[in-house]
Amino acid sequence: MASVRELPVVPPPLPASWTTPESSGKSISPLVERRLLPAGTAYLAHVKRAVHKLTFDEHDK
Amino acid sequence: MSTQPNGTADAPIEVSSAPTVVGINFGNSYASISVLTKEGSADCIANEDGERQIACAVAFLGEEMYIGNQAKPQLVKNSHNAILGFRNLLGKKFSELSFEKPTASAPVIQHPEQPDVPAYKVQVLQPAPSPIPTTASNTPAASKVATPRSEPTPAERVLSVSEVTSIFLRSLVQSAEDFLGKKVQGAVISVPTWFDDAQRAALTQAAEDAGIHVLQLLEDAGAAAVTTTTGLTPQELSADRTQLVVDLGASSLELSLLAIREGLAFSLATLSDPTVGGNAIDDKLIKFFAKEFTKKTKTPLTVAPATETQDKRAEAKLRLAVEHTKRTLSASPGAATCSVESLKDGLDFTGTITRLRFDMEVRSVYDKVYARVKELVEKAGLDLYDVDEIVYVGGSASLPGLDETFAQGFAETVVTPFTAGTVVGGGVGDPTTIISRGCALQARLVATLAEGTEEEREVKGAFASGSKWTQAKATSKTIGMLFPEENAEGPLGGQWIPTVLRDTVVPARRTSRFDVDLGEGEGEKKVGFEVWEVKEGIKVDKIKPPKFEDEEDAQADEDEEEEEEEIEVKEKTVEKESLLTALSFVVKEAKQVKGRWTTKVEVQSIIDDTGSLEITAWEVGPSGKGEKTVVVVSSA
Ligand SMILES: Nc1ncnc2c1ncn2[C@@H]1O[C@H](COP(=O)(O)OP(=O)(O)OP(=O)(O)O)[C@@H](O)[C@H]1O
Ligand SMILES: [Mg+2]
Repeated sequence: MASVRELPVVPPPLPASWTTPESSGKSISPLVERRLLPAGTAYLAHVKRAVHKLTFDEHDK
Repeated sequence: MSTQPNGTADAPIEVSSAPTVVGINFGNSYASISVLTKEGSADCIANEDGERQIACAVAFLGEEMYIGNQAKPQLVKNSHNAILGFRNLLGKKFSELSFEKPTASAPVIQHPEQPDVPAYKVQVLQPAPSPIPTTASNTPAASKVATPRSEPTPAERVLSVSEVTSIFLRSLVQSAEDFLGKKVQGAVISVPTWFDDAQRAALTQAAEDAGIHVLQLLEDAGAAAVTTTTGLTPQELSADRTQLVVDLGASSLELSLLAIREGLAFSLATLSDPTVGGNAIDDKLIKFFAKEFTKKTKTPLTVAPATETQDKRAEAKLRLAVEHTKRTLSASPGAATCSVESLKDGLDFTGTITRLRFDMEVRSVYDKVYARVKELVEKAGLDLYDVDEIVYVGGSASLPGLDETFAQGFAETVVTPFTAGTVVGGGVGDPTTIISRGCALQARLVATLAEGTEEEREVKGAFASGSKWTQAKATSKTIGMLFPEENAEGPLGGQWIPTVLRDTVVPARRTSRFDVDLGEGEGEKKVGFEVWEVKEGIKVDKIKPPKFEDEEDAQADEDEEEEEEEIEVKEKTVEKESLLTALSFVVKEAKQVKGRWTTKVEVQSIIDDTGSLEITAWEVGPSGKGEKTVVVVSSA
């Protein structure tokens, strides 16, 4: 299930001068290889999504 | 009352479909078993001797075989027939073993028949063969009397490491079956991180030989992660956090630093030290009591190490006795006693130790653990301040003095089972049961997996040792939203909300909901934010502690060395590193409260397995979810 986090923060109003910046064209930093602990329901969900080739939304159903 | 119609095929009683499974914590020194409760949680059970911490020991005396804590007293007078420390020998060849440390128990030998297999040789009494029944053919005509039952005969028995393990594991599962009144259908057994394929295979084989179906061998740290991520997350903790697992057993210290991201866990670094643990604590404690004994009785006693036979025996007795002393010390802040009948020269001994004194005696052990923890965190490229939660595992981690030692170096906000009050009384943080409980929860998970289709079998296979599904990719930098602010304080220039933390395994999805302040003005209103990748760090300031005005203190200070000790003050830092994209939309559902406009928004971030990031934002108003605004940052 998609868990939505309720955050206690309240971002302030935008400065009058702010305009939406153009996308920078940059990507996120390179991903790194890790070894998961094959444990718990989150690991099961991760593997299920991969094996059945599901998106998060499809898996939610 | 409705009556059951005739001829129904349904059973009139409710048959539980839940499989009967157990979790086994199999340490080198102690083991424990947990079962699942009706409510769905896991509980550590006591065996028929009332023990939850069951010594991994098998001993022989005459015709008897003792298993568990009952086997340990054999270490005093019958030590060569007591088998301990067998778990760590599983999967090893005899020629691979080193015999540096002298052992007080049955020595490990080369198996007389199986090449390069470690085994134990013990002296037993074999029950005499039953009297030979008389038959017409084998009975001499002169006598019709059966041969009388003779005395049991002394014999040697050789047991391989694997056989001892089977005997021991069988007895654990037997205890669980007696408790449950049902046959156990499967078990998850814990293993240390450093158990290799051969050791895992040997353990699986030994368990299967004992008739135990092994559902999974689970790393200790994995079991701890399951226990701490099942159920509600304590309020002070985020579902995305860095967890330090400190496993202090009897013969070793095992440390793991875990990235836990919505329950998905991997290890950032691990470290083992086989020189720290409960045994090292025992050394200090029995030396302390031996000194007390000498002071009281004027009888010399040298232990840890002992050389004289008498002293060796006294040492063995003390080692058994301090087990109780340590448990009392960790359970209550008062003093604890140590009593041994006929410790030496027929003299009884009773000594007491306060927790304060105990902590003083074992300070060097605590300090070593702390030094190792610092080493581990450094190895992961992090700071102690990056640790959000400490989880204690293993009997010796029950000692509050250890947690107190740690307090100096971690952030004040760090959550430990001691600060949360969950150690005592079998709470969720109890270090002595946390592994077996995690294994039991995991056993339920694995046992209920379907195996009907090819894909389902693939999913189930992901829990087998060495599965490729444990290979994953994770982010290396934290990504979040920056809400720009007029005349903002600090270097960021606005309100920072991290969304996907570094070390998050992909694919990942994070969704958050919060209110946005839109100001007081009328007219069109916008929500907008920039998406940044940031560099996180820890800033260390050295400051002089504030001076106390107290006269007496000042006096005392002068007597000591006049040295201005600086203290470190740490602070987490976030620096903007790379602007990825930005997003804005016109607000349609703003509401006015006390003159200020606000609206509620939800933002979802998804990173796929190629590293492409998709951000979607929408308003949540009285009429439901608003229109979605989507931006995509494609992968490199
Ligand atoms: N409540 C307690 N307080 C202090 N020490 C305890 C407590 N309970 C058990 N111990 C000690 O913990 C040690 C056993 O820890 P644990 O059960 O984690 O062992 P283990 O994992 O088999 O150890 P290893 O594999 O390192 O030999 C023993 O030294 C025991 O005396
Ligand atoms: Mg252990």
